Amino acid sequence: MEDINIIKGKVLHKGAEASLIHGFWFGKEVIFKQRYPKNYRIEPIDKQLRVTRTLNEARALIKVKTYGLNVPQVFEIDINTSTIIMKFIEGKKLKDLLFVLDDKKKSKYFYTIGEFIAKLHQNGHIHGDITTSNIIITPNEDVFLIDFGLHEYSDSVEDKSVDLHLLKRVLISSHGADFKKCFIAFKKGYLSNYDLNGSNEGKYIIQNIKSIESRGRYVKQEERK
Amino acid sequence: MKKDEGLCLGIESTAHTWSVGIVDFSGNVLGLHNNMYIPEEGGLHPALVREYHILNFKDTILNALQEAKCSMKDISLIAFSQSPGLGPILRIGALVARLLSQLYEIPIVGVNHCIAHIEIGRLMCNIEDPLTLYVSGGNTIISAHESGRYQIFGETLDISIGNMIDMIARDAGLAHPGGPKIEKLAAKSEKYISLPYVVKGMDLSFSGLYTAVRNLIESSDFGKNYTIEDVAHSLQETGFSMLAEVTERALAHTNKPELLLTGGVAANKRLQQMIKSICEDHGTRYEVVPLKFAGDNGAMIAWTGILRYKSEGGFELSHTNINPKERMDNISIPWRK
Repeated sequence: MEDINIIKGKVLHKGAEASLIHGFWFGKEVIFKQRYPKNYRIEPIDKQLRVTRTLNEARALIKVKTYGLNVPQVFEIDINTSTIIMKFIEGKKLKDLLFVLDDKKKSKYFYTIGEFIAKLHQNGHIHGDITTSNIIITPNEDVFLIDFGLHEYSDSVEDKSVDLHLLKRVLISSHGADFKKCFIAFKKGYLSNYDLNGSNEGKYIIQNIKSIESRGRYVKQEERK
Repeated sequence: MKKDEGLCLGIESTAHTWSVGIVDFSGNVLGLHNNMYIPEEGGLHPALVREYHILNFKDTILNALQEAKCSMKDISLIAFSQSPGLGPILRIGALVARLLSQLYEIPIVGVNHCIAHIEIGRLMCNIEDPLTLYVSGGNTIISAHESGRYQIFGETLDISIGNMIDMIARDAGLAHPGGPKIEKLAAKSEKYISLPYVVKGMDLSFSGLYTAVRNLIESSDFGKNYTIEDVAHSLQETGFSMLAEVTERALAHTNKPELLLTGGVAANKRLQQMIKSICEDHGTRYEVVPLKFAGDNGAMIAWTGILRYKSEGGFELSHTNINPKERMDNISIPWRK
């Protein structure tokens, strides 16, 4: 990647798995998402995880973009360094915004997110990590979903419910006070987009969340029913 | 008797270990005695373990008292493992604790087994506010203290890592306990066989890994294309990499300055090496609980009992019933701010 058209700037975020580096690619403002080797694990595991996750994420982003959903556009992939070069999305994380938004805006955003996830699920995509840190609100109030590192393809109700269950858990643990109204708005948006042509699958998916919760470890007998 | 001095007798009885620890109110362990049930074949059958504990609990108590050079008259608090664990076994611990409490008119407190593991680790390693990786035969939990509770950030969705290793050891015909044997075998190989790696956010699943490894052992290629050493190596590397990844994610999420490794599987050198490496990358202080106090023991129950007694006093007898399925994030921690 020694190229005068590729300029790497400062590190925006150093996560547990990858680093996000701000920069420019042929004059476009981009993010370099690079998965570094981990020296605690042996090479075969390390290499396999980094390569498959990078490829998987890039493929998912490209595919999801074709449905007209707001995800970062992929420009280039470098397997050797397990890096994805994608469009830089300006905006704020929903996680940080939730504390300043009024109730009407919160409901509006979560309704949009519901519609968004319904479209993903209908097309057989499981995001795998729908959290408020992975949702970006741009200055134009557009909703972007990022970080497809745990993306999977699946058509099963179960997998889709698990996806929503994760969001529910995050909302409860990090935004307890807002959980109820946000999740209600989310469900409305989800159902409005999922059950468009009279199917009931969206409803089943939402009902199934309860059943997943009851299967957790150390859930009391009376809560299992 | 003043509230800040005295001796606590702690009874641990959640699974195969019946253990009695005697700890003073400043946190010095004066006596600790274990009696472990070792199955002749297969795993732990709750009814058989219970029978074994019933036959042997008296000697363990007497030995611990003798080691602490005291008698029941000197004991000012009884603590017992109240949750979580195998019902029939918890019941014996609770029964003996209630009996002693009433016979000698001593206050009694119930203790959550998982919280006790963290508290004894904090005491022994002199650590204030760690992220804890608790790995044992019954539990696999990543936890940290947040808003008044020991919150669970990640956990296994099915079986625990220790349980998985034990089952594999059994399938491979190794005698109990399997963990140390698998560790020794793994050190002799560097050949990696690809195995399922299942991490869901911060949660883990080991059942698929177990099935895949069992298939390797039962396959006709076993002993020809690969040996038991290769299988042990691949099993450890995969399982521990999963643990390490989740731990690193929790560390980045919680930003805790310290990490505590505890539970029976914490004795594994390869796991210690991996977790230590992560701590070095993040500038986190790394501590592993000494083996004597990392596995199930009565001292941790006694010490956690003391902490609760100091902030809330003893339990009413009607509140000493066992709770085999209690989650640790349901329990308030009044002694920590």
